[in-house]
Amino acid sequence: MATQDSFLHLARPLGPAPVSAQFGTSPIDVKIQPQALFSILDHSLRRGKDQDRVIGTLLGTRSDDGTTINIENCYAVPHTETAEQVEVDMDYQKTMLALHLRANPKEVLVGWYATSSDLNTFSALIQNFYGQQGDGTFPHPAVHLTVSTEPGQAPESRTYISAPIGTTEERRADSCLFIPVPHEIKYGEAERSGLDLISTAKDREDRTASVVGDIEALERAIEHVVEMLERVQNYVSSVLDEEAEPSTALGQFLLNALSLAPKVEPADIERDFNNHIQDVLVVSYLANTIRTQIDLSNRLATAALTMGGGAADGNTGADGEKKEGGQRRSGRGGRGGRGGRDGNDRRQNGERNAEAAVEAA
Amino acid sequence: MANPTARSFLQVAATEEVASPLRVVQIEGLAILKIIKHCKEFSPALVTGQLLGLDVGSVLEVTNCFPFPIREEDEENEAEGANYQLDMMKCLREVNVDNNTVGWYQSTLLGSFQTVELIETFMNYQENIRRCVCIIYDPSRSTQGVLALKALKLSDSFMDLYRNNNFTGEKLREKNLSWVDIFEEIPIKVSNSALISAFMTDLEGDAPVTQCDYDRLQLSTNPFMERNMDFLIECMDDLSMEQQKFQFYYRSLSRQQAQQQAWLQKRRAENASRKAAGEEPLPEEDPSNPVFKPVPEPSRLDSFLITNQIANYCNQINGVAGQNFSKLYLMKALHEN
Repeated sequence: MATQDSFLHLARPLGPAPVSAQFGTSPIDVKIQPQALFSILDHSLRRGKDQDRVIGTLLGTRSDDGTTINIENCYAVPHTETAEQVEVDMDYQKTMLALHLRANPKEVLVGWYATSSDLNTFSALIQNFYGQQGDGTFPHPAVHLTVSTEPGQAPESRTYISAPIGTTEERRADSCLFIPVPHEIKYGEAERSGLDLISTAKDREDRTASVVGDIEALERAIEHVVEMLERVQNYVSSVLDEEAEPSTALGQFLLNALSLAPKVEPADIERDFNNHIQDVLVVSYLANTIRTQIDLSNRLATAALTMGGGAADGNTGADGEKKEGGQRRSGRGGRGGRGGRDGNDRRQNGERNAEAAVEAA
Repeated sequence: MANPTARSFLQVAATEEVASPLRVVQIEGLAILKIIKHCKEFSPALVTGQLLGLDVGSVLEVTNCFPFPIREEDEENEAEGANYQLDMMKCLREVNVDNNTVGWYQSTLLGSFQTVELIETFMNYQENIRRCVCIIYDPSRSTQGVLALKALKLSDSFMDLYRNNNFTGEKLREKNLSWVDIFEEIPIKVSNSALISAFMTDLEGDAPVTQCDYDRLQLSTNPFMERNMDFLIECMDDLSMEQQKFQFYYRSLSRQQAQQQAWLQKRRAENASRKAAGEEPLPEEDPSNPVFKPVPEPSRLDSFLITNQIANYCNQINGVAGQNFSKLYLMKALHEN
């Protein structure tokens, strides 16, 4: 962790050259989306046998003043590293960047990642490459994200920006001062349900989980809430029994939560409840009716041939009443079909009424 | 030398034929997140992308994916789109990503995905890949804490029929194919690498309730129901249009049959009089007569798809209604206490 390394904490540098005052010395705030992290971890699993670490490009968005960086996406870049030299596939980086920008025009290059916490001379070289003028992130600083993937240790991520260092031109090219910046891992609203499912897979032996249905999900949610309530209840009763240390902050918080419950007359509740349940009933009834009609028409469409011609003819009258029945039978659609259409119209009227009812509620 | 090889090829062909049917689609968390992100970012526009992975026995593993840029209507761009795909695949191969197309994903709005285009895309994919799936994701439902992710494939019997473009009532009955049999849904499983599992465990706090649970307990589902109803009504209108088409067909068919009967009777009467006069009878069939030209039967594919769509909406409505009942009774019970 941070205790064993020492960082030189300085004010944020103003980029390689004092170009403008558009960004002050306020610290950079880095937010990492989970899917970028997942990509990085996946990449580190797919690295070559002889590679200690792999690198890649980070894409994302930058706030207008450049102080907040949102890392949303990333892709792997092949590179080879020996004791003497490092080689990054520049062509690959360029093609891939162009390809990514075509699919996500909003994202820009923000920096690079490596799957090891070590910072060495090569890191500085690559960092300068990503931060350079032209293809790099200049005038914004390039962000360097390291994710340690050492087996047996907790995964750990860090973010840095850099300052130029060195007196001569050559020295400046292969050295830089890495400055740690704070970062957080954030997920968007849309990813919530996905992550929820993914995280259920983590506790299982085979690391898999099935997609759950709506009702099961609801059941699980209720269970979770009940669990939470029990926990709070336990805490409160242990405070009352003087077993646990009472905390004013927690008490205040619980009081606030309790006061959020709306004050509604029981009669109002009863009325709203009845109204709502009737609306839902109507809609679900209609949906079921339609469903039955389709199934019926399906049966008639596939089964009509097995019946003799006479029997089928005898059914025509009945089919007229079965609304959709005539629709798909060949040979005698006229009557059944017309009945079907009327039925449809009728049903649609019913639906519109139901709709109105839902809207009114 | 030649013979054993020939036999082994035959054997290979034979073993391939009994390949186990697709049972499960196993998706990596990474691919799910990528799909979610891409679909969400461009919502409500509908987007597509390619799925990469491996085909292992009865399991289709989806390990990665990449988005397609939004398509424009130009023909020029079509070639560019193909180039984009090739370039992307080439690049991904270089960094050891599974370089095998297993299908594609697309976003949808409330499950309105059953279109002729989808089937056409399926057929295109199927030509090159024996086993491919389409993953459908609905970003609009994520606010309710639902992950609306579905894996679909076309059924074999439907594909046969589609290849011959045979959607007459007779053929369908012969094959015993109904609208239920067009698509097959395949169960989805989510899997993670050990590293990602470790990372998730490290990150997650110990709170039992997530925001997702609160989303699921939201009482107001009316907007969702309303839009479902809207779509349902639209579909019903479409269906009645289709029905009119069939009515028209049957009416013209019966008119034609009546005409044929009339013509036949006339011809018979004529023949009888000719016979009486000792002349050769005229043939009772006349292919050149417009009365005998068969009336083309409208394709049932559209009405099948619409019916599928309707069934889908009905299921969704039912699902939400069921949830609503539980939530409402829960709320009532809470307030009574």
